[in-house]
Amino acid sequence: MSNLLEIKNLSAAYGESKVIQDLSFEVPKDNIVCLIGRNGVGKSTTLKSIMGLVKTPSGKIIFDDNDILKLPSYERVKMGIGYVPQGRDIFPRMTVQENLELGLEAADGKSRKIPEYIYELFPILPQFAKRKGGDLSGGQQQQLAIARALVSEPKLLVLDEPTEGIQPSIIKDIGKAIRRVNKEFGITVLIVEQFLEFVMGISDYLYVLEKGEVILQGNTEKLSREDVQKRMT
Amino acid sequence: MDQLVTTLFNGLSLSSIYLLVALGLSITFGQMGVINMAHGEFVMLGAYTTFCTQELFANFLPEQVGSIYYFAAIVLAFFVTFALGCLLEKLLISKLYGRKIDSLLATWGVSLILQQAVRTIFGAQGVNVNAPSFLKGGLAVKGVTFSYNRIFIIILVAFCLVMVWLLVNRSRYGSRMRATMQNRPMAQCMGINTKKIDCITFGIGSGLAGIAGCSVALLGSVDSTVGQNYIVYSFMTVVLGGAGNLFGTVIGAAIIGFSSIFVENYQSASIARAIVLLIIIIFLQFKPSGLFTVRSRVLDEGV
Repeated sequence: MSNLLEIKNLSAAYGESKVIQDLSFEVPKDNIVCLIGRNGVGKSTTLKSIMGLVKTPSGKIIFDDNDILKLPSYERVKMGIGYVPQGRDIFPRMTVQENLELGLEAADGKSRKIPEYIYELFPILPQFAKRKGGDLSGGQQQQLAIARALVSEPKLLVLDEPTEGIQPSIIKDIGKAIRRVNKEFGITVLIVEQFLEFVMGISDYLYVLEKGEVILQGNTEKLSREDVQKRMT
Repeated sequence: MDQLVTTLFNGLSLSSIYLLVALGLSITFGQMGVINMAHGEFVMLGAYTTFCTQELFANFLPEQVGSIYYFAAIVLAFFVTFALGCLLEKLLISKLYGRKIDSLLATWGVSLILQQAVRTIFGAQGVNVNAPSFLKGGLAVKGVTFSYNRIFIIILVAFCLVMVWLLVNRSRYGSRMRATMQNRPMAQCMGINTKKIDCITFGIGSGLAGIAGCSVALLGSVDSTVGQNYIVYSFMTVVLGGAGNLFGTVIGAAIIGFSSIFVENYQSASIARAIVLLIIIIFLQFKPSGLFTVRSRVLDEGV
């Protein structure tokens, strides 16, 4: 199976302090891959490196057979990466509709219409269309953020802790939506998460991170829950 | 009664000029958070562009088309100052995001350079822009005269205001701009080239200053310091209205414009200045972030 994304010997730093050193991992096409690990092991930084939001002094990020390490964020997005950051980062003073339409920027003016299936996946969105993004609840914002990332029909969907601070019933909806876009639209998914239950239920492949290194990996079904749990505590 | 109508009209006229200068500032300062001390000089350059257009038309085109020069001047003034604004953003301001005081000093330097450059090219003497023939005279209603050029300026300001509102709130470019100002890294992750947006947005703010220069040129002689007369009040207009809020800027301009004209009518011009400043100081004691508060962009550049 070919890889949609390959990280090779990547290092990332905030100013002088290196958070990730020599990290390598792959995301095979059409899979749902999870990175898990404790707080502060560099999970979010890894995703920010992929998006071009932190300094990456060395290594390679190969997406769809191109090295994107030196590209600015907006060009990476246009190549087909949809990003849902930790904390959602909805534009607070823009309406839900405007937030969604910004998702079309990545498609570079191809169309101005939001695909129907977005509303099918997230039926709450149409009724909030005119509300300001900042007025939505955490769960609603999370759904909006995922929808916004999907509007441009990316090849890779990158999610940073999608369950953080979200109530269980909505976590279930979000899990269903992620699985559907993966199966029906062939969108590859990379998730960073701490919530083991969610990860075990959704992922095809799993990496456990510790201090910016992979310490355990494997097909999710072949890994034992206890084993993973142990590495996280 | 006539006296009151005249005063109201003058107040409206002055407010509209402050508003036009402030409209550009509401974008560069209100939206982007850049304190551009050279904004007044863009107004001045707009006025000189008007003068140059007038001379070009007078020398190279038949007299019949003479009056159209003013419309050409408005368009030219916008594009000249738009281009200079973009250049200034690229070369200087983009290097100084997150360093407010540095960008204040640097743009002040630019302002002095521009003033001196204009003095060297056009001389220290002011130049005169002749109002086009259709703006000469005025509309007399029951003994009160409304001069055409002031009416024209009010219409021009209303037009610019509507255009800016549409641009910011209704256009695709506007939503890119708002996204960039609200959350820079996330805007990039939506596929927006935020550096380009910064540059063009600053250019548009500067271009509006150029249009303001065109209207200032109708009101008197143009020299290298003409921008300085308006810049202080225009900054205060934006602060008073609340940075980043177009409606607030309109109200701010009205408060400052009308109060200075009213006080000036019954007292002297210098008392008027003092009183307007006093109003602003007292007002900002109670509402330090302006009439209509919207959180403005935090001035830090991520990566």
